[in-house]
Amino acid sequence: MFTLGSVLDNELKSSVEDFSFETEFSTNQLMLPNIEKPFEFAQSIISLEKDLDENDNQPMFHQQKKEERKERALIKGSKGTTTLAFIYEKGTVVAVDSRATSGQYIASQSVQKVVPVNQYMLGTLAGGAADCQFFLGHLGRICNLYELRNNEKISVAAASKLLNNILYSYRNYGLSVGSMICGYDTRGPQLYYIDSDGSRLKNSLFSVGSGSPFAYGVLDAGYRWDLSKEDAIDLGRRAICAATFKDSYSGGTVKVYHIDENGWVKISDDDASELWYRYEEKEKKNK
Amino acid sequence: MDSLVGFVGKNYVLIAGDTNAGRSIMRLKDDFDKLVPIDSHKILAKSGEIGDGNQFCNLIIRNVSLYRIRNETELTTKSVAHYTRRQLATAIRKNPYSVNLLLGGYDKKDQKGSLYYLDYLGSSKKINYGAQGYAALFVGSILDRFWKEDLDFEDGLELMKKCLREVEKRLIIGTRCFLIKMINSDGISVVEKVMINSKNKNEIEEEN
Repeated sequence: MFTLGSVLDNELKSSVEDFSFETEFSTNQLMLPNIEKPFEFAQSIISLEKDLDENDNQPMFHQQKKEERKERALIKGSKGTTTLAFIYEKGTVVAVDSRATSGQYIASQSVQKVVPVNQYMLGTLAGGAADCQFFLGHLGRICNLYELRNNEKISVAAASKLLNNILYSYRNYGLSVGSMICGYDTRGPQLYYIDSDGSRLKNSLFSVGSGSPFAYGVLDAGYRWDLSKEDAIDLGRRAICAATFKDSYSGGTVKVYHIDENGWVKISDDDASELWYRYEEKEKKNK
Repeated sequence: MDSLVGFVGKNYVLIAGDTNAGRSIMRLKDDFDKLVPIDSHKILAKSGEIGDGNQFCNLIIRNVSLYRIRNETELTTKSVAHYTRRQLATAIRKNPYSVNLLLGGYDKKDQKGSLYYLDYLGSSKKINYGAQGYAALFVGSILDRFWKEDLDFEDGLELMKKCLREVEKRLIIGTRCFLIKMINSDGISVVEKVMINSKNKNEIEEEN
Protein backbone atom coordinates (compact mmCIF):
# COMPACT_ATOMS: atom_id res chain seq x y z
CA MET A 1 0.00 0.00 0.00
CA PHE A 2 2.76 2.45 0.87
CA THR A 3 5.86 2.82 -1.24
CA LEU A 4 9.17 4.39 -0.43
CA GLY A 5 9.58 7.99 -1.44
CA SER A 6 9.98 11.18 0.50
CA VAL A 7 7.60 13.38 2.42
CA LEU A 8 8.34 16.66 4.16
CA ASP A 9 7.47 16.93 7.81
CA ASN A 10 7.31 20.70 7.95
CA GLU A 11 6.48 21.03 11.60
CA LEU A 12 9.30 18.79 12.76
CA LYS A 13 11.81 20.55 10.55
CA SER A 14 10.81 24.09 11.46
CA SER A 15 11.07 23.45 15.18
CA VAL A 16 14.58 22.05 14.84
CA GLU A 17 15.58 24.55 12.15
CA ASP A 18 18.55 25.58 14.22
CA PHE A 19 19.95 22.08 13.94
CA SER A 20 19.53 21.62 10.21
CA PHE A 21 22.50 19.62 9.08
CA GLU A 22 21.61 16.94 6.59
CA THR A 23 22.24 13.38 7.60
CA GLU A 24 20.89 10.30 5.98
CA PHE A 25 19.55 9.30 9.38
CA SER A 26 17.10 12.18 9.59
CA THR A 27 14.92 11.30 6.61
CA ASN A 28 11.23 10.60 6.70
CA GLN A 29 10.96 8.21 3.79
CA LEU A 30 7.33 7.13 3.61
CA MET A 31 5.19 8.24 0.71
CA LEU A 32 1.47 8.56 1.29
CA PRO A 33 -1.33 8.44 -1.31
CA ASN A 34 -1.82 11.59 -3.36
CA ILE A 35 -5.02 12.80 -1.67
CA GLU A 36 -6.01 15.86 0.30
CA LYS A 37 -5.39 14.64 3.86
CA PRO A 38 -3.03 11.66 3.67
CA PHE A 39 -2.24 11.63 7.36
CA GLU A 40 -5.89 11.30 8.34
CA PHE A 41 -6.45 8.67 5.70
CA ALA A 42 -3.62 6.59 7.11
CA GLN A 43 -5.08 6.95 10.59
CA SER A 44 -8.57 6.05 9.47
CA ILE A 45 -7.79 2.66 8.01
CA ILE A 46 -5.45 1.38 10.66
CA SER A 47 -6.46 0.48 14.17
CA LEU A 48 -4.24 -0.94 16.87
CA GLU A 49 -5.45 -3.02 19.81
CA LYS A 50 -4.31 -0.39 22.28
CA ASP A 51 -6.41 2.27 20.54
CA LEU A 52 -9.51 0.28 21.37
CA ASP A 53 -8.91 0.76 25.10
CA GLU A 54 -9.18 3.97 27.08
CA ASN A 55 -6.17 6.17 26.67
CA ASP A 56 -6.11 8.92 29.31
CA ASN A 57 -3.38 11.02 27.83
CA GLN A 58 -4.75 11.39 24.32
CA PRO A 59 -6.05 14.81 23.28
CA MET A 60 -9.81 15.13 22.87
CA PHE A 61 -9.92 15.07 19.07
CA HIS A 62 -7.90 11.86 19.04
CA GLN A 63 -10.48 10.26 21.27
CA GLN A 64 -13.31 11.36 19.00
CA LYS A 65 -11.60 9.88 15.98
CA LYS A 66 -11.10 6.59 17.84
CA GLU A 67 -14.77 5.70 17.42
CA GLU A 68 -14.63 6.33 13.67
CA ARG A 69 -11.44 4.36 13.42
CA LYS A 70 -12.89 1.34 15.20
CA GLU A 71 -15.64 1.06 12.61
CA ARG A 72 -13.51 1.62 9.56
CA ALA A 73 -10.56 -0.50 10.64
CA LEU A 74 -9.33 -2.61 7.79
CA ILE A 75 -5.89 -3.40 9.16
CA LYS A 76 -5.69 -4.64 12.70
CA GLY A 77 -2.37 -4.86 14.50
CA SER A 78 -1.84 -6.74 17.72
CA LYS A 79 1.29 -7.98 19.38
CA GLY A 80 0.41 -11.69 19.52
CA THR A 81 3.72 -13.15 20.46
CA THR A 82 6.14 -13.58 23.33
CA THR A 83 9.68 -12.29 23.17
CA LEU A 84 12.00 -11.65 26.05
CA ALA A 85 15.54 -10.55 26.68
CA PHE A 86 17.65 -9.89 29.73
CA ILE A 87 21.21 -8.90 30.52
CA TYR A 88 23.34 -10.51 33.19
CA GLU A 89 26.97 -10.67 34.22
CA LYS A 90 28.22 -12.67 31.25
CA GLY A 91 26.10 -11.24 28.43
CA THR A 92 22.61 -10.99 27.01
CA VAL A 93 20.06 -13.76 26.60
CA VAL A 94 17.29 -13.43 24.01
CA ALA A 95 14.44 -15.93 23.81
CA VAL A 96 11.43 -15.87 21.46
CA ASP A 97 8.56 -18.05 20.35
CA SER A 98 7.71 -18.54 16.65
CA ARG A 99 3.96 -18.40 16.17
CA ALA A 100 2.19 -15.94 13.87
CA THR A 101 -1.56 -15.60 14.16
CA SER A 102 -4.12 -13.73 12.16
CA GLY A 103 -7.17 -13.59 14.36
CA GLN A 104 -7.80 -17.09 15.58
CA TYR A 105 -5.98 -18.74 12.71
CA ILE A 106 -2.40 -19.82 13.24
CA ALA A 107 -0.69 -18.56 10.14
CA SER A 108 2.72 -20.00 10.88
CA GLN A 109 4.57 -21.91 13.56
CA SER A 110 8.04 -21.11 12.26
CA VAL A 111 8.46 -17.36 12.12
CA GLN A 112 11.88 -15.82 12.66
CA LYS A 113 11.26 -13.29 15.41
CA VAL A 114 14.90 -12.43 15.94
CA VAL A 115 16.56 -10.26 13.30
CA PRO A 116 20.33 -9.84 13.45
CA VAL A 117 21.33 -6.18 13.23
CA ASN A 118 25.04 -7.01 13.07
CA GLN A 119 27.41 -9.60 14.56
CA TYR A 120 26.93 -8.43 18.14
CA MET A 121 23.39 -7.02 18.11
CA LEU A 122 20.02 -8.66 17.75
CA GLY A 123 16.59 -7.12 17.35
CA THR A 124 13.39 -8.88 18.34
CA LEU A 125 10.12 -8.71 16.50
CA ALA A 126 6.71 -8.08 18.04
CA GLY A 127 3.65 -6.44 16.53
CA GLY A 128 3.50 -6.07 12.77
CA ALA A 129 5.94 -8.54 11.21
CA ALA A 130 6.48 -6.45 8.09
CA ASP A 131 7.12 -3.25 10.05
CA CYS A 132 9.59 -4.91 12.39
CA GLN A 133 11.44 -6.79 9.68
CA PHE A 134 11.77 -3.72 7.51
CA PHE A 135 12.88 -1.31 10.20
CA LEU A 136 15.28 -3.75 11.84
CA GLY A 137 16.77 -4.57 8.44
CA HIS A 138 17.04 -0.84 7.78
CA LEU A 139 18.73 -0.39 11.15
CA GLY A 140 21.22 -3.07 10.14
CA ARG A 141 22.07 -1.11 6.99
CA ILE A 142 22.51 2.15 8.93
CA CYS A 143 24.74 0.44 11.50
CA ASN A 144 26.88 -1.03 8.74
CA LEU A 145 27.29 2.40 7.14
CA TYR A 146 28.22 3.88 10.53
CA GLU A 147 30.94 1.27 10.98
CA LEU A 148 32.34 1.90 7.53
CA ARG A 149 32.32 5.68 7.94
CA ASN A 150 33.59 5.93 11.50
CA ASN A 151 35.80 2.85 11.66
CA GLU A 152 34.34 1.78 14.98
CA LYS A 153 31.51 -0.45 16.11
CA ILE A 154 28.28 1.35 16.80
CA SER A 155 27.10 1.18 20.40
CA VAL A 156 23.79 -0.42 21.29
CA ALA A 157 22.62 2.90 22.78
CA ALA A 158 23.30 4.72 19.51
CA ALA A 159 21.67 2.04 17.36
CA SER A 160 18.56 2.00 19.52
CA LYS A 161 18.43 5.83 19.48
CA LEU A 162 18.58 5.82 15.65
CA LEU A 163 15.70 3.37 15.44
CA ASN A 164 13.79 5.34 18.07
CA ASN A 165 14.10 8.59 16.14
CA ILE A 166 12.97 6.95 12.90
CA LEU A 167 9.97 5.34 14.56
CA TYR A 168 9.10 8.55 16.39
CA SER A 169 8.84 10.41 13.12
CA TYR A 170 6.28 7.80 12.03
CA ARG A 171 4.45 7.71 15.32
CA ASN A 172 0.92 8.47 14.05
CA TYR A 173 1.15 6.41 10.86
CA GLY A 174 -0.18 3.20 12.36
CA LEU A 175 3.04 1.23 12.58
CA SER A 176 3.15 -1.56 15.12
CA VAL A 177 6.64 -2.28 16.39
CA GLY A 178 7.56 -3.59 19.83
CA SER A 179 11.20 -4.40 19.44
CA MET A 180 14.09 -4.97 21.78
CA ILE A 181 17.62 -4.10 20.72
CA CYS A 182 19.95 -6.46 22.54
CA GLY A 183 23.70 -6.48 22.28
CA TYR A 184 27.13 -6.40 23.80
CA ASP A 185 29.41 -3.42 23.36
CA THR A 186 32.23 -1.62 25.17
CA ARG A 187 29.89 -0.82 28.07
CA GLY A 188 29.01 -4.47 28.53
CA PRO A 189 25.70 -6.20 27.85
CA GLN A 190 22.97 -3.69 26.88
CA LEU A 191 19.23 -3.96 26.35
CA TYR A 192 16.81 -1.34 25.01
CA TYR A 193 13.08 -1.55 24.40
CA ILE A 194 11.86 0.41 21.37
CA ASP A 195 8.19 1.00 20.60
CA SER A 196 6.32 2.38 17.61
CA ASP A 197 4.83 5.11 19.89
CA GLY A 198 8.34 6.44 20.22
CA SER A 199 9.32 5.12 23.64
CA ARG A 200 12.86 3.97 24.32
CA LEU A 201 13.63 2.36 27.66
CA LYS A 202 16.80 0.86 29.05
CA ASN A 203 16.55 -1.88 31.61
CA SER A 204 18.05 -5.21 32.56
CA LEU A 205 15.08 -7.30 31.48
CA PHE A 206 12.10 -6.89 29.17
CA SER A 207 9.37 -9.06 27.76
CA VAL A 208 7.14 -7.95 24.90
CA GLY A 209 3.98 -9.37 23.43
CA SER A 210 0.66 -10.87 24.45
CA GLY A 211 2.42 -13.58 26.45
CA SER A 212 4.70 -11.15 28.25
CA PRO A 213 2.87 -11.15 31.63
CA PHE A 214 3.34 -14.91 31.80
CA ALA A 215 6.97 -14.67 30.82
CA TYR A 216 7.57 -11.87 33.36
CA GLY A 217 6.31 -14.13 36.11
CA VAL A 218 8.92 -16.81 35.54
CA LEU A 219 11.60 -14.29 34.61
CA ASP A 220 11.20 -12.05 37.68
CA ALA A 221 11.14 -15.05 39.98
CA GLY A 222 14.40 -16.52 38.68
CA TYR A 223 16.44 -13.50 37.58
CA ARG A 224 19.73 -12.56 39.22
CA TRP A 225 22.65 -10.56 37.84
CA ASP A 226 25.17 -13.28 38.74
CA LEU A 227 23.52 -16.19 36.96
CA SER A 228 25.76 -18.77 35.27
CA LYS A 229 25.52 -18.96 31.48
CA GLU A 230 23.68 -22.30 31.64
CA ASP A 231 21.17 -21.06 34.21
CA ALA A 232 20.53 -17.84 32.32
CA ILE A 233 19.79 -19.68 29.07
CA ASP A 234 17.57 -22.12 30.93
CA LEU A 235 15.70 -19.23 32.56
CA GLY A 236 15.01 -17.64 29.18
CA ARG A 237 13.85 -20.94 27.74
CA ARG A 238 11.59 -21.72 30.68
CA ALA A 239 10.02 -18.26 30.63
CA ILE A 240 9.04 -18.53 26.96
CA CYS A 241 7.85 -22.10 27.53
CA ALA A 242 5.60 -20.89 30.34
CA ALA A 243 4.22 -18.12 28.13
CA THR A 244 3.49 -20.50 25.24
CA PHE A 245 1.71 -22.79 27.68
CA LYS A 246 -0.62 -20.06 28.93
CA ASP A 247 -1.02 -17.77 25.91
CA SER A 248 -2.76 -19.09 22.82
CA TYR A 249 -1.12 -16.50 20.58
CA SER A 250 2.34 -17.82 21.42
CA GLY A 251 3.77 -21.18 20.51
CA GLY A 252 5.62 -23.02 17.83
CA THR A 253 9.26 -23.34 18.72
CA VAL A 254 11.31 -21.69 21.45
CA LYS A 255 14.50 -20.13 20.12
CA VAL A 256 17.20 -18.98 22.50
CA TYR A 257 20.18 -16.77 21.61
CA HIS A 258 23.15 -15.64 23.67
CA ILE A 259 25.23 -12.52 23.06
CA ASP A 260 28.65 -11.92 24.60
CA GLU A 261 31.84 -10.08 23.61
CA ASN A 262 32.36 -12.55 20.73
CA GLY A 263 29.02 -11.84 19.15
CA TRP A 264 25.66 -13.59 19.07
CA VAL A 265 25.12 -17.34 18.94
CA LYS A 266 21.94 -19.34 18.50
CA ILE A 267 21.80 -21.73 21.42
CA SER A 268 18.72 -23.84 20.85
CA ASP A 269 15.52 -24.30 18.91
CA ASP A 270 12.98 -26.55 20.65
CA ASP A 271 9.34 -27.30 20.00
CA ALA A 272 7.36 -25.48 22.71
CA SER A 273 4.92 -28.26 23.56
CA GLU A 274 7.62 -30.95 23.69
CA LEU A 275 9.69 -28.67 25.87
CA TRP A 276 6.91 -28.34 28.42
CA TYR A 277 6.61 -32.09 28.87
CA ARG A 278 10.38 -32.47 28.95
CA TYR A 279 10.53 -30.05 31.89
CA GLU A 280 7.70 -31.93 33.58
CA GLU A 281 9.64 -35.19 33.24
CA LYS A 282 12.73 -33.51 34.67
CA GLU A 283 10.79 -32.27 37.70
CA LYS A 284 9.40 -35.76 38.29
CA LYS A 285 12.89 -37.27 38.14
CA ASN A 286 14.24 -34.65 40.55
CA LYS A 287 11.55 -35.58 43.06
CA MET B 1 -0.57 7.47 35.83
CA ASP B 2 2.56 9.51 36.36
CA SER B 3 2.75 11.56 39.52
CA LEU B 4 4.75 14.74 39.79
CA VAL B 5 4.76 17.06 42.81
CA GLY B 6 6.70 20.28 43.21
CA PHE B 7 6.89 23.41 45.31
CA VAL B 8 9.07 26.42 45.97
CA GLY B 9 10.83 27.00 49.29
CA LYS B 10 13.35 29.43 50.74
CA ASN B 11 15.98 29.64 47.96
CA TYR B 12 15.24 26.18 46.62
CA VAL B 13 12.72 24.23 44.57
CA LEU B 14 11.75 20.67 45.44
CA ILE B 15 10.37 18.37 42.75
CA ALA B 16 9.42 14.73 43.13
CA GLY B 17 8.31 12.22 40.56
CA ASP B 18 7.41 8.58 40.67
CA THR B 19 9.82 6.15 39.04
CA ASN B 20 7.45 3.92 37.11
CA ALA B 21 7.49 3.50 33.37
CA GLY B 22 4.79 1.26 32.01
CA ARG B 23 2.57 0.21 29.20
CA SER B 24 -1.17 -0.31 29.96
CA ILE B 25 -1.29 -2.52 33.06
CA MET B 26 2.35 -3.55 33.02
CA ARG B 27 5.28 -1.84 34.72
CA LEU B 28 8.22 -2.03 32.32
CA LYS B 29 10.77 -0.18 34.44
CA ASP B 30 10.73 0.82 38.09
CA ASP B 31 13.73 3.15 38.22
CA PHE B 32 12.76 5.58 35.49
CA ASP B 33 13.96 9.15 36.07
CA LYS B 34 11.30 11.64 35.00
CA LEU B 35 13.12 14.69 36.36
CA VAL B 36 15.31 15.70 33.44
CA PRO B 37 17.92 18.46 33.90
CA ILE B 38 17.76 21.19 31.26
CA ASP B 39 20.94 22.83 32.45
CA SER B 40 22.73 23.10 35.75
CA HIS B 41 19.88 24.90 37.51
CA LYS B 42 16.65 23.80 35.83
CA ILE B 43 14.64 20.61 35.85
CA LEU B 44 11.91 19.58 33.46
CA ALA B 45 9.67 16.99 35.08
CA LYS B 46 7.76 15.11 32.42
CA SER B 47 4.61 13.03 32.56
CA GLY B 48 2.51 11.43 29.88
CA GLU B 49 3.65 9.33 26.96
CA ILE B 50 7.21 8.11 27.25
CA GLY B 51 8.17 8.69 23.62
CA ASP B 52 6.73 12.19 23.40
CA GLY B 53 8.28 13.07 26.75
CA ASN B 54 11.74 11.93 25.66
CA GLN B 55 11.67 13.69 22.30
CA PHE B 56 10.11 16.92 23.55
CA CYS B 57 12.47 17.22 26.51
CA ASN B 58 15.41 16.58 24.20
CA LEU B 59 14.14 19.34 21.90
CA ILE B 60 13.99 21.84 24.77
CA ILE B 61 17.34 20.83 26.25
CA ARG B 62 19.22 21.04 22.94
CA ASN B 63 17.70 24.37 21.98
CA VAL B 64 18.51 25.85 25.39
CA SER B 65 22.10 24.59 24.98
CA LEU B 66 22.26 26.14 21.52
CA TYR B 67 21.08 29.47 22.89
CA ARG B 68 23.78 29.32 25.54
CA ILE B 69 26.46 28.53 22.98
CA ARG B 70 25.34 31.25 20.58
CA ASN B 71 24.73 34.01 23.10
CA GLU B 72 27.14 33.03 25.91
CA THR B 73 24.44 33.52 28.49
CA GLU B 74 22.11 31.23 30.40
CA LEU B 75 18.38 31.55 30.02
CA THR B 76 16.19 32.35 33.01
CA THR B 77 13.52 29.88 34.14
CA LYS B 78 10.83 32.28 32.93
CA SER B 79 12.30 32.34 29.42
CA VAL B 80 12.58 28.58 29.24
CA ALA B 81 8.99 28.23 30.44
CA HIS B 82 7.78 30.62 27.75
CA TYR B 83 9.80 28.86 25.07
CA THR B 84 8.52 25.46 26.14
CA ARG B 85 4.94 26.68 26.21
CA ARG B 86 5.28 28.07 22.73
CA GLN B 87 6.60 24.76 21.40
CA LEU B 88 3.66 22.93 22.97
CA ALA B 89 1.13 25.49 21.71
CA THR B 90 2.31 25.48 18.09
CA ALA B 91 2.31 21.69 18.08
CA ILE B 92 -1.10 21.10 19.61
CA ARG B 93 -3.17 21.51 16.46
CA LYS B 94 -0.71 19.80 14.14
CA ASN B 95 1.51 17.32 15.84
CA PRO B 96 0.58 17.24 19.53
CA TYR B 97 3.00 16.22 22.22
CA SER B 98 1.15 14.31 24.96
CA VAL B 99 3.30 15.61 27.80
CA ASN B 100 2.43 17.52 30.93
CA LEU B 101 5.36 19.23 32.59
CA LEU B 102 6.55 20.88 35.75
CA LEU B 103 9.47 23.19 35.12
CA GLY B 104 11.47 24.12 38.20
CA GLY B 105 14.50 26.37 38.23
CA TYR B 106 16.74 28.58 40.33
CA ASP B 107 17.87 31.94 38.96
CA LYS B 108 21.15 33.28 40.30
CA LYS B 109 20.22 36.86 39.40
CA ASP B 110 17.07 36.95 41.51
CA GLN B 111 18.38 34.34 43.97
CA LYS B 112 14.96 32.77 43.92
CA GLY B 113 13.48 29.49 42.83
CA SER B 114 10.47 29.32 40.55
CA LEU B 115 8.08 26.61 39.41
CA TYR B 116 5.96 26.53 36.27
CA TYR B 117 3.02 24.28 35.40
CA LEU B 118 2.88 23.42 31.67
CA ASP B 119 0.16 21.48 29.95
CA TYR B 120 0.06 19.51 26.69
CA LEU B 121 -2.46 22.05 25.39
CA GLY B 122 0.01 24.88 25.77
CA SER B 123 -1.08 26.37 29.05
CA SER B 124 1.56 27.75 31.36
CA LYS B 125 1.35 29.20 34.84
CA LYS B 126 3.88 30.23 37.42
CA ILE B 127 2.96 28.46 40.63
CA ASN B 128 4.28 28.17 44.17
CA TYR B 129 3.22 24.57 44.51
CA GLY B 130 1.49 22.07 42.25
CA ALA B 131 1.31 18.57 40.88
CA GLN B 132 0.66 16.70 37.66
CA GLY B 133 -1.23 13.48 37.13
CA TYR B 134 -3.50 11.72 39.60
CA ALA B 135 -1.30 12.97 42.42
CA ALA B 136 -2.73 16.44 41.82
CA LEU B 137 -6.09 15.30 43.18
CA PHE B 138 -4.69 14.11 46.48
CA VAL B 139 -1.81 16.45 46.99
CA GLY B 140 -3.52 19.72 46.02
CA SER B 141 -5.36 20.09 49.30
CA ILE B 142 -2.35 19.10 51.42
CA LEU B 143 -0.26 21.78 49.76
CA ASP B 144 -3.06 24.35 50.12
CA ARG B 145 -3.21 23.59 53.83
CA PHE B 146 0.44 23.27 54.76
CA TRP B 147 2.53 25.21 52.22
CA LYS B 148 3.94 28.49 53.49
CA GLU B 149 6.18 30.95 51.85
CA ASP B 150 9.92 30.51 52.56
CA LEU B 151 9.86 27.03 54.04
CA ASP B 152 13.20 25.72 55.32
CA PHE B 153 14.66 22.74 53.59
CA GLU B 154 13.86 20.30 56.42
CA ASP B 155 10.24 21.50 56.64
CA GLY B 156 9.97 21.39 52.86
CA LEU B 157 11.24 17.81 52.70
CA GLU B 158 8.80 16.82 55.44
CA LEU B 159 5.94 18.40 53.48
CA MET B 160 7.02 16.61 50.31
CA LYS B 161 7.08 13.27 52.09
CA LYS B 162 3.65 14.00 53.50
CA CYS B 163 2.40 14.51 49.96
CA LEU B 164 4.06 11.36 48.64
CA ARG B 165 2.72 9.28 51.52
CA GLU B 166 -0.76 10.43 50.58
CA VAL B 167 -0.22 9.49 46.94
CA GLU B 168 1.02 6.04 47.92
CA LYS B 169 -1.83 5.58 50.35
CA ARG B 170 -4.76 6.65 48.17
CA LEU B 171 -3.81 6.05 44.58
CA ILE B 172 -4.96 2.54 43.76
CA ILE B 173 -2.29 2.19 41.08
CA GLY B 174 0.84 1.19 42.97
CA THR B 175 3.40 3.97 43.06
CA ARG B 176 5.73 3.25 45.95
CA CYS B 177 9.02 4.59 44.66
CA PHE B 178 9.62 8.31 44.23
CA LEU B 179 12.66 10.31 43.32
CA ILE B 180 13.03 13.72 45.00
CA LYS B 181 15.33 16.33 43.51
CA MET B 182 16.21 19.78 44.76
CA ILE B 183 17.41 22.84 42.89
CA ASN B 184 19.20 25.60 44.77
CA SER B 185 22.10 27.98 44.25
CA ASP B 186 24.52 25.02 44.04
CA GLY B 187 22.53 23.38 41.29
CA ILE B 188 20.53 20.18 41.01
CA SER B 189 20.94 17.45 43.59
CA VAL B 190 19.14 14.22 44.25
CA VAL B 191 17.73 14.48 47.73
CA GLU B 192 16.35 11.00 48.22
CA LYS B 193 15.05 8.00 46.44
CA VAL B 194 12.12 7.17 48.66
CA MET B 195 10.23 3.93 48.84
CA ILE B 196 7.06 4.40 50.81
CA ASN B 197 5.34 1.54 52.51
CA SER B 198 2.19 2.28 54.46
CA LYS B 199 1.53 -0.98 56.22
CA ASN B 200 -1.27 0.09 58.50
CA LYS B 201 -3.15 3.24 59.33
CA ASN B 202 -0.91 4.62 62.03
CA GLU B 203 2.51 3.28 61.22
CA ILE B 204 4.21 4.53 58.11
CA GLU B 205 7.69 3.35 57.28
CA GLU B 206 10.11 4.77 54.80
CA GLU B 207 13.10 3.13 53.27
CA ASN B 208 15.75 4.93 51.31
